[in-house]
Amino acid sequence: MSVGRGQMHSLGWAAVLAMCLGVFTVLSVRVHAVKSEVLLAERQIIALKRESMLLETEFETRASQRQLVEWNAVEFGFGAPRADQFLEGERQLASLGQPLGPGAPAQIRLARATTESEDSAVPAARQQTAMVSPLSGEKVTLAAARADADAGAMFADAFGDFLIEASPIRPARAQSAAASVQASVAGTGE
Amino acid sequence: MSLFAAQPAIPAGRIELVHLRYRAVLTARWRVLWIAGIFSVVAFAALVRIVWLGFAGDAPRRTSLEEALLPPRGEITDRHGVPLARAFPAYALWFNPAAMGDSGAPLVRSPQEVARALVRIFPDMDEARLAERLASGRSGYLRRRLLPEEANAVFRLGEVALEIPRESDRHYPQGTLGAHILGYVVENEGGKLGMEQVLEERLTHPDLRSQPVALSIDVRVQGALEDELRKGMLATNAIGAAGIVLDVDSGEVMAMASLPEFDPNTAGASGADNVFNRVTNGVYELGSTFKPITVAAAIDAGVVRDLSRTWDATPVQVGRRTLKDLKPKGNGLNVPQALVYSSNTVTARVADELGAERLRRTLIDLGMDQRPFIELPARGKPLFPNGNWARITNMTVGYGHGIAVTPLHLASAYAALVNGGIWRPATLMKIDAKDAPRGRRVFKESTSSRMRQMLRMIAMYGTGRSADAAGYRIGGKTGSAEKNSGGVYNKTSLVSSFAAAFPLDRPRYVVVVVMDEPRGTAASSFQRTAAYTAAPVVGKLVPRIGPMLDVLPDARRDVDISDLRYLVEGPK
Repeated sequence: MSVGRGQMHSLGWAAVLAMCLGVFTVLSVRVHAVKSEVLLAERQIIALKRESMLLETEFETRASQRQLVEWNAVEFGFGAPRADQFLEGERQLASLGQPLGPGAPAQIRLARATTESEDSAVPAARQQTAMVSPLSGEKVTLAAARADADAGAMFADAFGDFLIEASPIRPARAQSAAASVQASVAGTGE
Repeated sequence: MSLFAAQPAIPAGRIELVHLRYRAVLTARWRVLWIAGIFSVVAFAALVRIVWLGFAGDAPRRTSLEEALLPPRGEITDRHGVPLARAFPAYALWFNPAAMGDSGAPLVRSPQEVARALVRIFPDMDEARLAERLASGRSGYLRRRLLPEEANAVFRLGEVALEIPRESDRHYPQGTLGAHILGYVVENEGGKLGMEQVLEERLTHPDLRSQPVALSIDVRVQGALEDELRKGMLATNAIGAAGIVLDVDSGEVMAMASLPEFDPNTAGASGADNVFNRVTNGVYELGSTFKPITVAAAIDAGVVRDLSRTWDATPVQVGRRTLKDLKPKGNGLNVPQALVYSSNTVTARVADELGAERLRRTLIDLGMDQRPFIELPARGKPLFPNGNWARITNMTVGYGHGIAVTPLHLASAYAALVNGGIWRPATLMKIDAKDAPRGRRVFKESTSSRMRQMLRMIAMYGTGRSADAAGYRIGGKTGSAEKNSGGVYNKTSLVSSFAAAFPLDRPRYVVVVVMDEPRGTAASSFQRTAAYTAAPVVGKLVPRIGPMLDVLPDARRDVDISDLRYLVEGPK
């Protein structure tokens, strides 16, 4: 029995050793696989960096200053901007507006009322309360809210009113998205 | 064996046979032993070789990511990071007859066929010569530069002897732009001529070359300067032109151009034409552009206190020489008028009253007795009158004759004239505002302020009117001097220059434009003087570069010249 147990012991040790060897082999194979993948990825990075540099250089060469000047001379004919094409600020922009001539139709002025809710509430909350039509009480989705990241809408939001105010031409129904939000706020407030 | 030994009755013939058999077996065993021995010796040798290789042999070279992406030569960029010169991986076509590794023919197909296939890829190559070259069996370059597509096409030919080694090329994406600033690179020799030569160590340093070097140049300004100079040069039929845009507060060169130019991409070991840099290497008598410097020195020294004082403007007689005005404007002129109408006689008299020593001191303070201060290796030595100046020398130097300096000297001097009186060396390296050199004071702050007024008046009333771009508050002085060759002034060849600064109510940049031998053409109203050749270039250039350099035009702003206006306009 004792001999049998000894044999069992050594057999067990052999099995453990074999298992360790197997695991070691599998692991080292895996490690090598990962290593070669890393190597491959490095090579790809190098190739891609070289290619991007090649393309960047080609772009720089094709868009060199001299080439741009030649294109401009042949195709576009842009000249340097004149002094009167630069505006220093909003005041200078506003100063470009013309006073009303005699007999001209009265300007349509857009009133802006400040309500208590507008003073206290955060703008985001204001937007949510404003999404209701003042006439029917239905939900209204504004263009500006739909496309928040839209550059044109953002510009209109920021400068629309001001441009309308400053413009010598005063269209009757010109109203930016921001103004309509404020108008609807005014509507719900009353 | 013992069995055989136990039977002695066996006949002798049989014993012989047994003996023979025994011998044969023995031989066979010996042979097996020998072969096994040889095998084990070979195996042992192989094992030793493997161990040897493992310890001492060349390991397969594995370059790391950083190493592979490290450029062999650092990149040069402009102040905003636009690459001006970079190491560019390129392919060459190399013929290696030994590539097949045997004693047979180097090519798989006949040289004629290979040559025909190559000419199909490179139509500009000569088929017969190429075939001859391939048949000769000499190794060497067949073609220096290949595009990647062409390299692939050559690879597809399947000829082992046609090798496509990867080489590193120095590429200048902007072509001829700023060629004199950058210089070029000759293979195995290094940088030549420009910043490539100056920065050689920095660009090839193993630790530093991964970082690009930023120059002070702005590519857009450089492009505009070269474009306007080229147009001006062609319009006036000049043989050359030079221009520089300099930051007055830091001495940084924003743009520097010398025409005609060369292409650094094609310049190589054999050099290039037109490498002469007119801005830093060409010394010219720049004429009337020196007048503001003389007047500033006189105001600084207290010689000119009252600007309304009328100076004698009749011809000056010194010894046998008579100094005259080109276009006399009457017998008496005040100093602002003398500058506006560019009067030689009044400036000569101012210089005379100032004295040779004080004018000389001012010019030395402005660095005009030495080569210009800039990194470039090509710097011209000015022709500065040495020793004690005679009275006539002092008078002519006062209006820019008898002294020859580079356009860069003039630009640095004008920077000192308008920036409050501090002279600083020019630099082509981008520097932070806090690192700007302190410089040395040449003029007083009040003198500089007066000069800003008078330079502006020249552009408003005088010879610089065609440079007065609306809203940019440009002021500057024209200069037209006859070329001096061997001590004789050549009446037909002029060097016309315009040195300007803008915006003069708070000066930021100095622009100097020099035209070498302009001709009177229809474009310049058949005039060769600076007012018609150099000044219009500045007038067109400044509106182009102003917004790029953060100088916005404003028609409602100007230098306050109310206290001097009546001196030129007359009482109204």
